[in-house]
Amino acid sequence: MLDVNKEASVVKSPLTCLIVDDSAFMRFHLRRMMDSFDNVIASEAANGNEALREYGRLRPDIVLMDIVMPGMEGVETVKRICSEDPKARVIMISSVSYQEKVAEAMSAGAKWFIPKPVTTEELRRAIQNVLSPTTDN
Amino acid sequence: MRLDFVKIFVDSTAVLFRELIGPPVDVPSISMKPSPVAGREVMAIIGLAGEAHGRVIFDMDLFTAVQLAGHMLGEPSPGMTPLVRSSIAELASMAIGRAISKINDGGTRLSMSPPTVITGANLVSYDQCFETLVAPIATAYGEVRVNITIQDLD
Repeated sequence: MLDVNKEASVVKSPLTCLIVDDSAFMRFHLRRMMDSFDNVIASEAANGNEALREYGRLRPDIVLMDIVMPGMEGVETVKRICSEDPKARVIMISSVSYQEKVAEAMSAGAKWFIPKPVTTEELRRAIQNVLSPTTDN
Repeated sequence: MRLDFVKIFVDSTAVLFRELIGPPVDVPSISMKPSPVAGREVMAIIGLAGEAHGRVIFDMDLFTAVQLAGHMLGEPSPGMTPLVRSSIAELASMAIGRAISKINDGGTRLSMSPPTVITGANLVSYDQCFETLVAPIATAYGEVRVNITIQDLD
């Protein structure tokens, strides 16, 4: 098992994660990756509005966020989550990864950006970095 | 027709297919077709907007779609399930997203719509007056055609 949950290894509580993507395939794929890590509880949202509602209800340790979604897209959703909770830890996972869009996502409050297709190793590294930002990559 | 963008779409798709589906992936030729595009049983459609506009349609046989999705999911699928449809949509989205990113980094603003997947027999896509470039991409699971129409706004 990969131990992505450095904080949980101290406090013995599971890492909670909210997966936000309009694609059922991506939610399935990311949930399977998260399930392969140790001590993780994952929830899902299929659009921006659902993500805001679930974030407020669950206050997850991390959020995995798509960008291109119908209705409220990912960057706007991150902006709203971070204005409500400046300590939110959001990892963007998107097929659209040009420099301006990445900068827009980071300035909205995202802590990390992974271009699709994402690998388990990239996701593990991103989560470790977001949970312990002082750790070297 | 923005042929420079067409090449980026085709190259990005071929590279992504090699990464996700594995070899062999081959693009034997690209041809120009007048609209409408006659598709096969499964079509994934993505709209393009910004400083240029158009759309990209991936079309393939049902068998190919189910096999490609099964490869992506890591398990065989019994047929055109919602998860298979979503896998094909995501495959198209990742390919075009990668191309869009290169085009934007090159200085042209272009955005994409979320993909729409349509299934059925004798599907035809009608456009107003555009010609379409068609790139057949051969994969281990059958051919995927990438039908691209893109023009500058002026």
